[in-house]
Amino acid sequence: MSIPTLDIQDLKLGFKGYTGYAEVLHGISLSVAPGERVALVGESGSGKSVTARIVLGLLQELRTARISGSVRFEGKELDRLTKRERHALRGRAMSMIFQDPTSSLNPVFRIGEQFHDVLRRADAKITREAALERAASILAEVSVRDADRVLNAFPFQLSGGLNQRVMIAMALANEPALLIADEPGTALDVTVQAQTLQLMRKLVEEHHTAVLFISHNLGVVREFADRVYVIYKGRIVEQGPTRAVFEGPRHPYTRALMAAVPRLTGGGIPDIEENSPDFGAPIEIHPDEVQT
Amino acid sequence: MKRTLAILTANPLSLLGLVLVFVVVFSAVFADFIAPFPEHAGAVVDFANFNQPPQWPYIFGTDLVGRDLFTRVIYAYRISLILGIVVLAIAVPIGVSIGLVAGYLGGRTEYVLMRLTDVFLSVPPLVLAMSIMGVLKPTLANGMLAVTVMWWPWYTRLVYNITRGEKEEGYVLAAEVIGASRLHIIFREILPNCVPAIVTKMTLDMGFVILIASSLSFLGLGVQPPTPDLGSMVADGAKYLPDSWWLTIFPGLAILVAVFGFNLIGDALRDILGAEQ
Repeated sequence: MSIPTLDIQDLKLGFKGYTGYAEVLHGISLSVAPGERVALVGESGSGKSVTARIVLGLLQELRTARISGSVRFEGKELDRLTKRERHALRGRAMSMIFQDPTSSLNPVFRIGEQFHDVLRRADAKITREAALERAASILAEVSVRDADRVLNAFPFQLSGGLNQRVMIAMALANEPALLIADEPGTALDVTVQAQTLQLMRKLVEEHHTAVLFISHNLGVVREFADRVYVIYKGRIVEQGPTRAVFEGPRHPYTRALMAAVPRLTGGGIPDIEENSPDFGAPIEIHPDEVQT
Repeated sequence: MKRTLAILTANPLSLLGLVLVFVVVFSAVFADFIAPFPEHAGAVVDFANFNQPPQWPYIFGTDLVGRDLFTRVIYAYRISLILGIVVLAIAVPIGVSIGLVAGYLGGRTEYVLMRLTDVFLSVPPLVLAMSIMGVLKPTLANGMLAVTVMWWPWYTRLVYNITRGEKEEGYVLAAEVIGASRLHIIFREILPNCVPAIVTKMTLDMGFVILIASSLSFLGLGVQPPTPDLGSMVADGAKYLPDSWWLTIFPGLAILVAVFGFNLIGDALRDILGAEQ
């Protein structure tokens, strides 16, 4: 087996506040193989986004955060890397897409300018012309036809869907090995979201990018991911190949989560307890599907 | 820029402001050509024509040693504008940088920087400037220093508050994620978003700096004679009110025109730039 792109073992995170210590993640383990699309599913507050931020090294700098466990990126322990080495990974080897594409772009710069900034992370000497050319070719990959207009526009002049595609293009511009998508497109309407996700899937397949996909939208996850981790209150409660988890959820929390998906046929949302002792049940692991 | 100018000229009040500021700046820059008696800006005595009411060729009248008041007002504008520009050119970068750093870094840095700012803000500005001028020699350079010292904290406050808001915006996080340095984020991502507010405040402040500088010299702590200064001209003339009214009224009006003009433009800019966001 090859070295996983991302390998998290027994990751714990707590915050030291005025009232004492509050643990947020109680030891989660997950791994993403090269080119694999892995989803991390859970309700809000379950610890999805903080996990992503630890991987990117954004929480380590926080004075109040206490982190233990191991996070390996392409076999390298992130903790052991120097600040400079860790910094070098960001924006080059790993990148991220956010919930709200429009606010993720700086309102006072043209898109082309921001592309230039991103591309400079990989090649500090890239000229403006070369950057714009490269940007146009990546934008073409996300079906942006009039790249010139887009590159000359300010973010607020473009639609949310277009901004989302710009974000995806930017995130993949430096050919990262790992892309973290934190509920991409939640701020967009459903059809646009579906469209952009399809584009994203096509793109990561072509570029062989591993994706850690963070979402609470089960429909999207089912479409997009190869493997699923279900997270609840800072613990992984169920993991396995997407099909196995969706067709035979074993953990009580996963079942409750599946039951809460609204259906076209109606019937409303079933009564689910906010918190049930069942949800604390130990982790359920589906075996990987045997490759044939 | 073109659009901003178009909007400025469309509104009668801001147009008036534009005209007033233009008059002030024009007369300050071309003082040597406009002033009928350029030599009267210095130490000249002409007792034949002393204390004359407004009449040709002394349209603002003459002062107690026979110098043309109009000439002296024009040269005083030059001094005031230089002072305003220098003060803002020093105070704004300092204040803005401190505000950005405090707002973005937070924590202990923020605590130290903002408490320091509060200390400066807690002393009434004129009192602070007066005490500085009282200790130092009253020269133009020291006047600039005194006003600068009391001016930067306002920019720190302004930019600090904007930065606190912008820091939470998605684009800042996005920049952090792709590995932008702190310096890059502070000065290339957040600062450009503060520029509209800074420009507006600078325009408004031009007027206030002129006013404060005039107040200082009115109290005898500013620029010293024979250099013409609006504040000291008003102070000198006040002793001879109401008989020699022109000694006070014209320099006073000159202060009004400058402050009023800059404020009108500042107000208009605030509306324009505020509406854009």
